[in-house]
Amino acid sequence: MKRRDFIKTSMVLSAFGKQLPLMAVGRNRRQLGRTSQWETDRVVILIKLNGGNDGLNTIIPIEDDIYYEARPTLAISPGQSLSVNDTTGFHPSLGPIYPFYQNGQVGIIQGVGYQQGNLSHFRSSDIWVTGSDANEHLLTGWLGRLFENEYPDFPDGVPEHPLAIQFNSANLLEFRTSESNVGMMVFDPETMYAIISGNYVPGEDDPAPESYGGDELAYIREIDTLSMEYSEVIYDSALAGINTMEYPDNNIGYQMALTSKLISGGLGTPVYRLYQPGYDTHANQANNHANLLQDVSGSIAAFLQDMANQDLQDRVMVVTTSEFGRRVYENGSFGTDHGTSAPCLFFGSNIVPDIFGNHPDLTNLNNNNNMQVQYDFRQIYSTLITDWFGLAESVAQNVFAQSFDSIPFVQEPLSVKPPVLPAHFKVHAAFPNPFNPTTVIGYTLPAAGNVNIRIVDSRGRLIQNNHLGPISKGHHTFRIEGKTWASGTYFAQVETGGTALTQKITLVK
Amino acid sequence: MAEQPLTRRNFLKGKTKPRPELDRLNPEWPTQRVAKLYRKFLEKQPPFYHPPISEEVAPPLTVTASLNSMRDVDWDQSAAVHLLGRTMFGSTYTDINNSTSDSLSNTVNTLLQELETAEPPGDWVNEPPPAWDQLTYDEVQAVMEQYRERMWQMANWWIVRMTQNPINITEQMSLFWHNFFATAQSKVFYPQAMYEQNAVFRQYGLGNFKELLRRVIFGPAMMIWLDIHRSKKHNPNENFSRELMELFTLGVDNYTQVDIEEASRAFTGYVTNGVETNYDYENQTGSWFWWDEWHDFEDKTVLGQTGPWTGDDIINILLEQEECAVHICRRIYKWFVYDYIHEPVVEAMAFVLRENDYELRPALEFLFNTEHFYDSNFRGANIQSPMSLLPGLVRKFGMEEFTYPEGFFLRSVEFLGMTPLEPPDVNGWTGYRSWINSITLPVRKLVNSALVTGFSPFGNFDFMVDVRSMAQTMYDSDDDGYASEQIVRKLALVLFGVPLSDILETKMLDILLDGAEPYDWSINAPIGDAQWNRMKDLLLYMIKLPEIQLS
Repeated sequence: MKRRDFIKTSMVLSAFGKQLPLMAVGRNRRQLGRTSQWETDRVVILIKLNGGNDGLNTIIPIEDDIYYEARPTLAISPGQSLSVNDTTGFHPSLGPIYPFYQNGQVGIIQGVGYQQGNLSHFRSSDIWVTGSDANEHLLTGWLGRLFENEYPDFPDGVPEHPLAIQFNSANLLEFRTSESNVGMMVFDPETMYAIISGNYVPGEDDPAPESYGGDELAYIREIDTLSMEYSEVIYDSALAGINTMEYPDNNIGYQMALTSKLISGGLGTPVYRLYQPGYDTHANQANNHANLLQDVSGSIAAFLQDMANQDLQDRVMVVTTSEFGRRVYENGSFGTDHGTSAPCLFFGSNIVPDIFGNHPDLTNLNNNNNMQVQYDFRQIYSTLITDWFGLAESVAQNVFAQSFDSIPFVQEPLSVKPPVLPAHFKVHAAFPNPFNPTTVIGYTLPAAGNVNIRIVDSRGRLIQNNHLGPISKGHHTFRIEGKTWASGTYFAQVETGGTALTQKITLVK
Repeated sequence: MAEQPLTRRNFLKGKTKPRPELDRLNPEWPTQRVAKLYRKFLEKQPPFYHPPISEEVAPPLTVTASLNSMRDVDWDQSAAVHLLGRTMFGSTYTDINNSTSDSLSNTVNTLLQELETAEPPGDWVNEPPPAWDQLTYDEVQAVMEQYRERMWQMANWWIVRMTQNPINITEQMSLFWHNFFATAQSKVFYPQAMYEQNAVFRQYGLGNFKELLRRVIFGPAMMIWLDIHRSKKHNPNENFSRELMELFTLGVDNYTQVDIEEASRAFTGYVTNGVETNYDYENQTGSWFWWDEWHDFEDKTVLGQTGPWTGDDIINILLEQEECAVHICRRIYKWFVYDYIHEPVVEAMAFVLRENDYELRPALEFLFNTEHFYDSNFRGANIQSPMSLLPGLVRKFGMEEFTYPEGFFLRSVEFLGMTPLEPPDVNGWTGYRSWINSITLPVRKLVNSALVTGFSPFGNFDFMVDVRSMAQTMYDSDDDGYASEQIVRKLALVLFGVPLSDILETKMLDILLDGAEPYDWSINAPIGDAQWNRMKDLLLYMIKLPEIQLS
């Protein structure tokens, strides 16, 4: 069989898609107004350099003799590098973004990572996408928690546009909420819409069983319905949007071009996660790494120019991340092995184009001979939440369950507004959830009143009844203590003025 | 919503995909010259689609932790669907009926029985590598084309075996081990090596884990895949020992970086030409020049034990660790039970595995007999992988004897993110919820519909499901209800992982009857009667419901 026939089948796929009868779609989903504080139209495009980008060969410490000794075959000489300042050069493959650097649209944060860096790709990627500490295993993504905080009813209160778009192979965990996933996987909007609508049958309103099987069924149903709704709005945006630039003909170029088109076409999605694999350069790094950087910098350059041509440049910021950096010393296979910290780059017209932090001090390595961490990656994420999206610091604190100093890389931080009280009584998802042994549930009262919080187990038995008495109007939290309970699902029911709202919480011992 | 023309880019287009298979090529394998040509060759091929990576875990519910054997009275059709659905590909109504009239323990024994050795996909499986130096450019191109054909031939051969499997776990185990020891053909290059590994999964996959591990590690495919091949004492390759400890034996965090570095010195001096190796299974040693010159004969300290260890010694040391059995059982549990692990059950299973000196069969037998395995929570909790769903449906529809258009299976499963012989990385496929996204879910429905309509984006066929025969194997005059009612119930039993709700049962019956009364629908209606088209409508409806994705 000729695998190139695979491409030809696409035509068959198209033709077949057309013949399928389009079923009427039951739009029984609620289109709620936004309940969130999310008021900005700013967008962040996160690019994962997957496999562990070699920071030292990206941002070159051209004055550091140890660097040149450690990398006899891989080091980039000062002459080859693109000059940034007396001690710093770019890898020559970053050429396409160099003019943007000179225009103040490129900044660097040095030494980004986390303490006790884990050298497993899988584990370290999970730490980055969940926003956990090295020794902490979270089941939800940092962006999932951010959106859950802002849209506590998701997926019931479905925003009109997807909250996040991920391209093929992005890590789903990053957008995982305690009950759902806010990321929409996108390939080609047009084909996607045709196939999704052609194969959709409206389900019946029968509740999924109370079991793991039921959980999985609910999950698939949700993808089914949300795909149907969102594929239409994404397709409309892609049709309306334009590209004014030619993008590099490669995978990351395609992702950037489509991102630009969706933004240009009016899609209101605030977060995009792009993905470029191949950075695990254990062997024969020189060429591979150069090609990767060439591809990604060419794509970013085209994107920045495209946005500027359409006067959208102030709304977008591009940030690169990677699960770790690489060792100082090259190995015997002309490559580098897994390390810890590495620089993150950020791009846009609305940034502070500085170098934050210093070149790694190669005379002061940690006890595994890896570079020290200068910035925790959550400082960047936290800054995006507060300064870029203009959400309160308490939101960032909720997302990471601790507070991180921000890094002033946003040129015009949005002023932080005090949280506006929603007009209705609300009970927010508990955090952490699943939990052990304590979790905190938040609720918002439209007016002062007596509050009862009841905890009921999955069989409906009352475990606790807390009469809290009169509580003032506004946002409050309640600590739930599960030390003496058995593992399992519980329901926290908050009742005031005759109305009770419930949140599912799960104790894992 | 208007029908939209499809004219522009589509998501099969190569340039929209990442290409890990290019990034990990060894520039010297099988020779420098061929490696350069091979890279260009691969670049011209369309890339593989891999699903996104995620580690999603559903919250725990209250599940019985009982490790007692399930009572025979609880061994009903639903329990049989559950067991067969997890262990074989596509159980029919007849399989389910036969298993329930037999006992649980007999069914488990049948599943775990050793099968006769499979007929290989071609006579090329032992063909020695060509003398690359003597081949012209065109000859090298021809061999690469041929190797590629053979890889796909073998992958197709495997899927066809799945569609035709008896009540037996062997094919499922070979897929499990392929995922466990995830090795990709694009790097290994030699189809002979990939076949050798696959045959090891088949032959040793239900036997002793230690033997299996040795056969896999010292097989040519793994030697090439994780660069054990040509790792030398002065410059040992760390990567293999890391994966050996993290993925194949101990699990993450149960060893140190120093253990990895020391163990990597033991895995030196082992080489392969792609078909044969310099390793002797009987005497557990390397040989020839490479062994004498490249193996590190000095002392190494791994997990506290010091000695002039060889690769075999390291394997022994790793298997002495309690964590090893736990790690293996975790992977088994995730594959066969659920992604969320109930540790006490895994611990108990690991105990059985250790007590039986790493014999796998008793551990599996233990698991498949426990009340825990049959807890109602787990029914339908498995999101089927592409290689489970499509071959399974083929068998459930009684369509396993047809000859499908070339590439129908492979292109379908590849599109859905699971190319056999080409896992995304050494961690295997993430599976679970990562199988389902806004791209794969509609295409799953599209591909499965082909069995009813005969139209597929990956080739059309002039045969389709014989609904009349299927209905007749299901109908039993002794069972409750009219034929139409029985068919609805039994189709749901066979095709859906979760119990059928009343609402859905009514809806399905409506589609099957299309306005007629339940008694109007006759099991003996002649071939070609319009009522059989209603049953096809029903199958198409079921194929488009989320329930069918679960087992």
